Amino acid sequence: MRPLRDTDLWHFARLRPGMLFGLSVIILNVCLAAFGPAIAPFPTQAPAGASLVSPNGTHWFGTDVSGMDIFSRVMAAPRIDLTIALVSTVIAFACGVALGVISGYFAQGDRAGRIASTLIMRIADIVQAFPMFVFALALVGLSGPSTKNVIIALAFLNIPFFLRVTRGTVLQVRSRTFVEAAICAGNTSLRTAFVHVMPNALAPAMVHFSTTVGFSILLTAGLSFVGAGVPPPTPELGLMIQVGAQNMITGQWWTALFPGLCLAVTVLAFSLFGDNLRIFLDPTNRR
Amino acid sequence: MRRFALFTGKRLLFTVPQLFAVSVIVFFMIRLLPGDPSYMLAGPYASPDRIREVRSTLGLDQPITSQYVRYVERIAHGDFGTSWRTSQPVLNDIRQRLPATLELVVGAVLLSVVIGIPLGVAVATSRGGVLERGVFFYGMLAGSLPDFWIGLLLILIFFYLLGWAPAPVGQLDFAVSSPDHITGAYVVDALLTGNGPAFWSACGQLVLPLATLVLVYMPLVLKTARSTTEEMLLSGFVVQARASGLSRWMQLRYALGNALPPVITVVGIEFWFLLGGAVLVETIFAWGGLGQYAVESVINSDYAPIQAVVLITAAFTTLVFLVVDILYYLLDPRISV
Repeated sequence: MRPLRDTDLWHFARLRPGMLFGLSVIILNVCLAAFGPAIAPFPTQAPAGASLVSPNGTHWFGTDVSGMDIFSRVMAAPRIDLTIALVSTVIAFACGVALGVISGYFAQGDRAGRIASTLIMRIADIVQAFPMFVFALALVGLSGPSTKNVIIALAFLNIPFFLRVTRGTVLQVRSRTFVEAAICAGNTSLRTAFVHVMPNALAPAMVHFSTTVGFSILLTAGLSFVGAGVPPPTPELGLMIQVGAQNMITGQWWTALFPGLCLAVTVLAFSLFGDNLRIFLDPTNRR
Repeated sequence: MRRFALFTGKRLLFTVPQLFAVSVIVFFMIRLLPGDPSYMLAGPYASPDRIREVRSTLGLDQPITSQYVRYVERIAHGDFGTSWRTSQPVLNDIRQRLPATLELVVGAVLLSVVIGIPLGVAVATSRGGVLERGVFFYGMLAGSLPDFWIGLLLILIFFYLLGWAPAPVGQLDFAVSSPDHITGAYVVDALLTGNGPAFWSACGQLVLPLATLVLVYMPLVLKTARSTTEEMLLSGFVVQARASGLSRWMQLRYALGNALPPVITVVGIEFWFLLGGAVLVETIFAWGGLGQYAVESVINSDYAPIQAVVLITAAFTTLVFLVVDILYYLLDPRISV
């Protein structure tokens, strides 16, 4: 393997502050998800001082209404938020790509294949007819607020996006000669679809991955904010903003400001990284 | 004209199975998800008999197909069940709350269009300078700002620190009585009845939630307007127009004819997103609209309203996309069904 600083990606990223910013924040988040709760200076789910202390030398981000140290909780939050977002996005990616390959590959096949392909697309259409947040809210609300149900709901809602981008590429790749060669060599259609076509149609879904993780973090926080996500007192950004909301209106600005800032920066990082990755992988866009 | 009628007719026909499928999903949502609602409704210490009783009042002991037929029948008669939290028919609850949400969502979409499109076009035509940099950075924020947090920040700054905005207590200040009911949207009602105090109070209350939504959701429109205009200004037919000596204004007109249709689609998407996204902003500003109703129902496991809200917002989305497609057709007749 070549050292990192010789790769094209590194040369590209060096000239793009947005990508570097995105990458560093993502790495920081991953580190915090791994070690955050362990290296946090105060307990993350128990009071660590007086209620509503403004930011000072001991409590860098102040304390919330029940006296919990906000800085420690922000450090511990990626373990919840990033895990939910990552796991749900991985599930959505796997299902979406698989369905996308099937619906794209069989779009011009025999009758049964065409029907399956159309059916998959129509179902995706219908799932996307529901306004996303309301649907997520209803899904989690009806199945009971818990980490697992948030993951399932987000995964389900994100499948159509992966499906669409994959299907589009599969339709293009499918008409290439190597696919014909694979069929002539005696591969079954499922094998051709998944072994020969799929690896060549993954790029758009992979680019979409990063943006979706960011977006899922935002949705997770939103769900928790209205009380339909993870239960309190879990150190989760949306919950922290919700707890801080009442205090924010009466002037204890630090309670919701810092968790929200972390949320915005994290989501922005994932979306910037995704955007730049797309530009990197699209040669017509490279300058 | 005949072609237009044909297009609209076909597109309308397409909407019917969509609405049907939406109703199927909403119907099955409650039945396929883990957790039997009758256990939840009967409470944790209910006897098996009591649970069976709840099941039969909910109709859950019937075959699934006849349950579905009954469900569609009831909806066709405008019966969405009764909310056990407000003990009112869900339809009444929704009728009271929907206008408030629409006021917010439509207002935000309109403002995003009125500000976002001209700004995007302006940036596309005059490249370079502070404006372009500003718009570029602002556009990067598209989709990554937590709207509920921005709302809180605006309250902190404009209510607590500066004292310019009224307290976030809903659609009207406490001391003001609501205007006579016409549409349900207070600003419109107050204007129609000439109720001055209610109008100003409602407008004042509207500013911050509207500003939040516009601030968070405008970048998408702005970005699209900018990039499609830029692309069109560089394309062959505009170069040809320039070579023929047409004025800059004419060139822009040519470009916009082709640049705006994609923007319409994005506006539709924004509407779709806001119908759901406004939920959080409504909660912060105690807006009392459909979104807040949905949240309260979810927290209290009140099933009928949740189903109704999901169904109605989805039906609304379907309508919005219908309108978008028709507008798109009017702007770009090359499209066919």
